[in-house]
Amino acid sequence: MEKFSTEYFRKLASDLRFNLSDEEIEELKHDFQAVEAQVDLFETIDTDGVEPMIYPFESATVFLREDEVADVLSREDALANVPDVRMGHVHVPKVVK
Amino acid sequence: METKLTPAQAAKAIADLQPVLNAAVTIVENPEENTNDGVLAGIPVVLKDNVSTKGLRTTASSKILDNYVPVYDAEIVRRLKDAGAVIVAKASMDELGMGGTNRNAATGPAANPWNPAHITGGSSGGSAALIAAGTTPLAIGTDTGDSIRKPAAYCGVIGVKPTYGRISRYGIIPYASSLDTVGYFTRNIADAALALEVLAGRDDHDMTSSFLPVEKYAENLNGDLAGKTIGVFRTVSDKIERPEIKEAFDALVEQIKNAGATVVDVEMPVNLMELIAPVYKTIANAEATANHSNLDGIRFGMREPGGSVDEVMTNSRTAGFSSYVRARFVIGSYTLFEENQDRLLRKAQKIRRLIVNAYAKLFEQCDVVLAPAAIDVAPLIEESSDVRFGNDNFADEHMQLANFAGYPSLTMPLGLADGLPFGINLTAPAFEEQKLFDTAAGVEKLIDWKEEPACSAK
Repeated sequence: MEKFSTEYFRKLASDLRFNLSDEEIEELKHDFQAVEAQVDLFETIDTDGVEPMIYPFESATVFLREDEVADVLSREDALANVPDVRMGHVHVPKVVK
Repeated sequence: METKLTPAQAAKAIADLQPVLNAAVTIVENPEENTNDGVLAGIPVVLKDNVSTKGLRTTASSKILDNYVPVYDAEIVRRLKDAGAVIVAKASMDELGMGGTNRNAATGPAANPWNPAHITGGSSGGSAALIAAGTTPLAIGTDTGDSIRKPAAYCGVIGVKPTYGRISRYGIIPYASSLDTVGYFTRNIADAALALEVLAGRDDHDMTSSFLPVEKYAENLNGDLAGKTIGVFRTVSDKIERPEIKEAFDALVEQIKNAGATVVDVEMPVNLMELIAPVYKTIANAEATANHSNLDGIRFGMREPGGSVDEVMTNSRTAGFSSYVRARFVIGSYTLFEENQDRLLRKAQKIRRLIVNAYAKLFEQCDVVLAPAAIDVAPLIEESSDVRFGNDNFADEHMQLANFAGYPSLTMPLGLADGLPFGINLTAPAFEEQKLFDTAAGVEKLIDWKEEPACSAK
């Protein structure tokens, strides 16, 4: 099977929880040629012994806070943007049928 | 900071300009009075629509957040309000920050106040347009890969991306977490220095925010260029082809020398420059894909019907994201596959370090690096597009270097070509905002920018 086939992109989109039209998939096939060409470009650079740069700075700004209750969202606020609320809960289609 | 319009007048001016500029997503109808007597007392402020505002719709210009009304304020909104500012509008942007044209907004493209047939640049295009049009003296934006500085250059205003972690991102709808920086637009450097004093500082809600003290940037502002060393970024400036921009840039360099600064040429290896855009896209798409997995229509945002939870999510995300954003998520997801991580994401992160190391070397020779912000003016809306992949040009993408390195970086207007602004870019080492503002204040005097766009607040 061709690596970047239509089915391949359908599966990828399905994992990302959205659909792609046939036209969108054709455009992506074109994009992925560029993605693969970029891998070739990356490989021209010797990165042996180089650590990945995950964030700009190494200085510690992160710490574990004490396990104390803080910043509690009220139920009203937590549900304020839920598209479907029933009896104080987020309502979704039945999961176990 | 001074304002020519009250908050109510500013909101009205934005509404009046909306048919031409299309720069606002939400305009506050009756801006509430703010009794806080801080340094921004009575100042109307525009926020990019990815800044959470309690009780005020916040869409990030994405259909999936069309109905989202935050239940809390972003930290910067709290700081602005504490200083006396009044929020008057939420500005249009490229959807979720992804784009450099502002064409990719759910409400359609924003127009450039200098000529509405041209783009504002993006992603903070609405903020740039509204400040260029003179509606407010301060507008907030975010900058992941030049998203404040490019639109500022295209719209003839000042755009500041401070050091990564200088301003809290709590309450900002994210794009790419290792690059995202909150910043702003002003019309002069003194206001830019003052704004950072209000906005900057440690916030425990954002674990990447810095503990370093916030300086009195405005009070200490010193525009004397004598004794400063300015590095002219020749790798970029040599790419200028337009004669008007080249002449203006060269003339400015001469003026800087005459003002007493030492000017040195600085250069980066071209093979690393050519990797800026590919490395940026690889990292940004991967981080964006992960960040936006919570946009599923279940707990907030637009929900499309479906027979199962999975179907609801799939239908909501299909209808809620533009084709362009979904394509970027596909690429980002591919980058994150275990089998691709080493050759794509991790490789990009390693090259990022090499690029930053080379960039940092430039600052061993100078205090501040000067470059053209872009090598041309804003393109026509109909002729512009967001490059999906490939066709990269480092002269247009070089400002992403400051996002990679986390360095503070700003753009300011230099001149006009065909009636549209072009600008310069100044960048300093991390947390050296005072040095950046001081240099910019000196350069501002030399440029003495007084131009106004055709389309502005009456």
